[in-house]
Amino acid sequence: MKKNLTLKILFLLIFSDILETFTHYCFKRSVIGEINFQITSLSDCLAFAQSALASPFLWAALLSILLTFIIWSSILSRIDLSVAVLVASFSYIFVPLVALIFLHEKISFLRWGGILFILMGVILASLSTKEKAIKQ
Amino acid sequence: MNPNLIFIIFLIVITSICDASREILTKFAVNSLDTNVDGFKKAAWLFIQLIMIPWVWLGFLISILSLFIWLYVLSKADLNFAFSVDSMHYLFVALASRIFLKEKVGLARWMGTFLIVVGIILVSLG
Repeated sequence: MKKNLTLKILFLLIFSDILETFTHYCFKRSVIGEINFQITSLSDCLAFAQSALASPFLWAALLSILLTFIIWSSILSRIDLSVAVLVASFSYIFVPLVALIFLHEKISFLRWGGILFILMGVILASLSTKEKAIKQ
Repeated sequence: MNPNLIFIIFLIVITSICDASREILTKFAVNSLDTNVDGFKKAAWLFIQLIMIPWVWLGFLISILSLFIWLYVLSKADLNFAFSVDSMHYLFVALASRIFLKEKVGLARWMGTFLIVVGIILVSLG
């Protein structure tokens, strides 16, 4: 079975990262109206759940979790877990860069250093699959 | 170090272990089916087969547990701090992949793992 990281799998990994970010965004949006909600009893808890369930964002988030699971398991059928998780850490680079380009947020020197480390780590992890393919 | 901080770090380690176990369980289930997904049909079929495997459900339960612990952690600690401690879950995954899934984690992959952990700590604290 071929185990090396192809461009197609890389795109799938990036896509599942984007979906995961979308999930978090939807979860946040689904409870944003309840910012002053105080949960002190079980009935408060039920009321909170009820209003969250009424939000279309919650259902979008759940759908997105399902889709992420399908894509993630498909990826896992093609490559090692220890590579997949490393390449998926791309999102730590992705999110600050999106914030820089679209939200004009500043990226600190320390954070640029971190991005560089993650990038090197992802490249090393990807190369480690190639090495194995050549050996076999 | 104050005892509260140690408790919070302990909880973050627990969520890291939970996340790593969920990933190991999912990969274990996928491996047991021995397929090679290359299209939507196969992906859908893989999903149907997976939800009939108890290990996958155990993984879901563990991730719900981990979510609750994580929410508690976030109510006590900074997200920056929590994220940087949580980055150690990459080490757990690498170790568990080697032990339980018999994946060949060589020097390059270990170095990649360490670089990413350091990188995430820098990004979280930066």
